[in-house]
Amino acid sequence: MITAKRAIAVSLIFGLLAVGLVAAPGLGIALGDILRVGGVSWLVSQYSDEIDSFLTSALGEREAAALGATKVVPILSLGGGGYIGAAQVVGNPENVERVRAVIQVEGRFGDFRAKVLVPTTTDQATGSPDRARGVGVSAVIEFRI
Amino acid sequence: MGRRLKVPMVLVAVLFTALATAAALSSATVSFQSAERDGARVAEVLIGDTVVMVLRTSAGGYSPVERAEIVANRLRSAMGEEMEAREVAVYPVTSGQGVYVGKQLIVAVYQTEADAHKATPTALAEMWRDNIIRAAGLEVAEPPADAKPPMEEAPPADGKPPAEELPAEEPVEATGEATPEAEPAIDWTGTAQKWVPIFSLETEGAYVGAAQIAGPPSQVDQVRGVAELRLNFRNLGRIYAYVPVRTISTNLDRVQGVSVWATGDVQLVDF
Repeated sequence: MITAKRAIAVSLIFGLLAVGLVAAPGLGIALGDILRVGGVSWLVSQYSDEIDSFLTSALGEREAAALGATKVVPILSLGGGGYIGAAQVVGNPENVERVRAVIQVEGRFGDFRAKVLVPTTTDQATGSPDRARGVGVSAVIEFRI
Repeated sequence: MGRRLKVPMVLVAVLFTALATAAALSSATVSFQSAERDGARVAEVLIGDTVVMVLRTSAGGYSPVERAEIVANRLRSAMGEEMEAREVAVYPVTSGQGVYVGKQLIVAVYQTEADAHKATPTALAEMWRDNIIRAAGLEVAEPPADAKPPMEEAPPADGKPPAEELPAEEPVEATGEATPEAEPAIDWTGTAQKWVPIFSLETEGAYVGAAQIAGPPSQVDQVRGVAELRLNFRNLGRIYAYVPVRTISTNLDRVQGVSVWATGDVQLVDF
């Protein structure tokens, strides 16, 4: 006799496997990527305030806290659109309040790799990012997923 | 023979005068030292011979003496420029109070340090501020109203450090500044940019990449590098904090108003 919980768990496993089988060869997306993006999104929504306080406190103890408003927002990959991490932004309070995400644009110039971090007022990583003025990045958070 | 003796004597006199002048000037220098107070090891920051701060607690992984060294360096740097009493001020910082000279944070006072002094962070910060003003010989531009006397101008006759261990309430009342002070206005909207090295605090200054910083031109000019501080957050992730600093050292001498716009590194090995 299969219990309801076991049925849900089995369905979930087969569902995820199906997504992986369909997504991986057709779209070039791995199941791990899907889970990772979802996981990062959840972690940012759950821990953004706590990370912000943790960072401010850690820098404050070293007498290096930034004088300005801070906030932790997700980092979106330009083009991919997925959540790839989080960033603490800093700046004038009214400008920081408008920031919804940081868009990361990666470039390569020979052996030099650059990651441009653009605080934006939208949470869409499509087209040209709308840079939030008077705001910059003070920390980058990489989640272990 | 007499003339042969006169020349060296004059030279000695000139040398002695020069040394005395140098000693007099150095009396206003900033230094720090370890000391024992109330049976505990503490660190003192001095201007000339006057103790202006006593640091009793560790913070941020720094011992009291290490903190005193950082504070002394900042104070020395701030006093290198022309300083006025009104520039020495107390402003709130996150979870505490900061003593500033202009826009430069000299020391942040948190609850732990304040508790060790049996004072509040505000009272302790204001006491240190007053000690700096007094020891640096700065004149207060706006004397308080005649209802209360201004700061105790006369130095104590018993040779003890002025007001350092007095109850915190006394200097607070003496300042005559009852109104809360606003946080100094930091301009984050400048658009001057430049690339500077990122150095790791964990590996004692090893360069780990480069950062493009941006901010007001006057602030960006002061930045020599970006310190990368790695922190672990609940085993969920690693945080890379970027602090634009004036000097490439483990002392985080932050330049306010400057933030990171981009990071870069060189790929040494391609697999």
